[in-house]
Amino acid sequence: MNRFAFFPGCLVPTRYPAMEFAIRHTLPKLGIEIVDLEGTSCCPDPIYFKSRDKLDWLSVAARNLCLAEEEGIDLFTNCSGCTATLSETWHLMHENEEIRDKVNARLAKIGKEWKGTSRLRHIATLVRDVVGYEAIRETVVRPLNGLNVAIHYGCHLLKPSKIMNVDDPNNPTILEDLVRALGANPVRHDKWYLCCGKACSNEDLPANMMRDLLTTVQEAEAELLCLICPTCFGQFDYGQLKVAKQFDEDFHTPPVYYFQLLAFAQGVAYEDLGFERQRFKPEVMNRFKIREPIEEPAK
Amino acid sequence: MAESAGKKKVVRVDFAFRRELAEKVEGNLASFCYQCGACVGDCPAMTYTDDFNPRQIMLKVLYGLGEELIGDESYLWECTNCYNCAERCPQEVKPAEVIISMKNMMADRGQYPPGVEKVINAFLTEGRTVAMNPAIDKNRARFGLPPLSPVPMDEILILIEASTGEGKES
Ligand code: SF4
Ligand code: SF4
Repeated sequence: MNRFAFFPGCLVPTRYPAMEFAIRHTLPKLGIEIVDLEGTSCCPDPIYFKSRDKLDWLSVAARNLCLAEEEGIDLFTNCSGCTATLSETWHLMHENEEIRDKVNARLAKIGKEWKGTSRLRHIATLVRDVVGYEAIRETVVRPLNGLNVAIHYGCHLLKPSKIMNVDDPNNPTILEDLVRALGANPVRHDKWYLCCGKACSNEDLPANMMRDLLTTVQEAEAELLCLICPTCFGQFDYGQLKVAKQFDEDFHTPPVYYFQLLAFAQGVAYEDLGFERQRFKPEVMNRFKIREPIEEPAK
Repeated sequence: MAESAGKKKVVRVDFAFRRELAEKVEGNLASFCYQCGACVGDCPAMTYTDDFNPRQIMLKVLYGLGEELIGDESYLWECTNCYNCAERCPQEVKPAEVIISMKNMMADRGQYPPGVEKVINAFLTEGRTVAMNPAIDKNRARFGLPPLSPVPMDEILILIEASTGEGKES
């Protein structure tokens, strides 16, 4: 088994436990052992707390990285925001000696030191690079054949690309490939590259942007919108409701976190995945049935 | 602060503003900006508002026009942090980072939008951006997940003491 430390962040464990359940259910089936870290905090968030003081932000983030270093293993996140914070921290600590010395001086006060021995990945890249698409496909017992899925990449999985090093930000394929491994059919909406808008403090900007984005999701005839970040999820669930009311339009685009979709394809019942709490429910998934086991041919 | 420097005929570079900004982590990156405008085309804040333009913001930084950039009603909070600008910039300026450094300057002055301050305070109290309540653990239990452990705030507060000690709004 490959062992990886799990960095859960804030939103998934508090607001979206169904996502955490799905991660804990699906990864062991893919040969990944999850190691829980004691005493993690918020990553801290790359929008608000980073805006307050970047050096504080780096120091708290470096402490989180130290917790995985103490276990001697790499870590993974389930949120693009956590990925941004922890990757950028690793990168700046690695590249910039002045920052590294300042942050390590603070860490010394709590008996820690950042050494750079634990690398960080978003869970999507973990399954791509450590498990592989074919091995994912082998765990699927309920193929989602013919399900049209649009992808919302969000920003911080891919950018800044020099730091994230995940995929080509102008033409990424990782999430399409992950969706295809479940048998589903990824469709690309015109405005796939737009952001969820959560970080913006102006109300109109995200609303107009989301309206444009969802319009193209509808044009692409997607049945759901697959994503890999709890912040983006909130924008496309509660946020979509607000935008639909504001513009009096019915986009009805249910957002689904990839690992819940994977859990469903691996055979977990729809009712056990917490979808009833979403404003936009991916009921279309209910048309898929668990495939009958094929008899092993006699040797 | 009130009168806009944009109305002045002659622009004088305000080095005090630039020095303060340069103290921030990656605050000095705008110095490499040659005003090509590559950061503008894919900027959602530029597309969806009237006033936001990352090239212009970098120019104002170069001139040190602090009073047009930071303040209680600063438009810098319209940035969506998408990093498209950083992706496009041939000079590795990372306008998104320069903007966050200016937000750090506003934070030093206690100037946050209320929504931003709320999240920061949640973090400073419990170490998470979401405040704990009994419903959270109940909801977790429904999915067979254990209750969340408290964040060791003593360690977190020691790490950020240097800045909270200086009378920062928090
Ligand atoms: S991160 Fe850059 S491109 Fe994105 S909204 Fe902010 S200034 Fe514009
Ligand atoms: S792309 Fe870079 S160099 Fe060009 S205007 Fe924007 S910040 Fe300046």
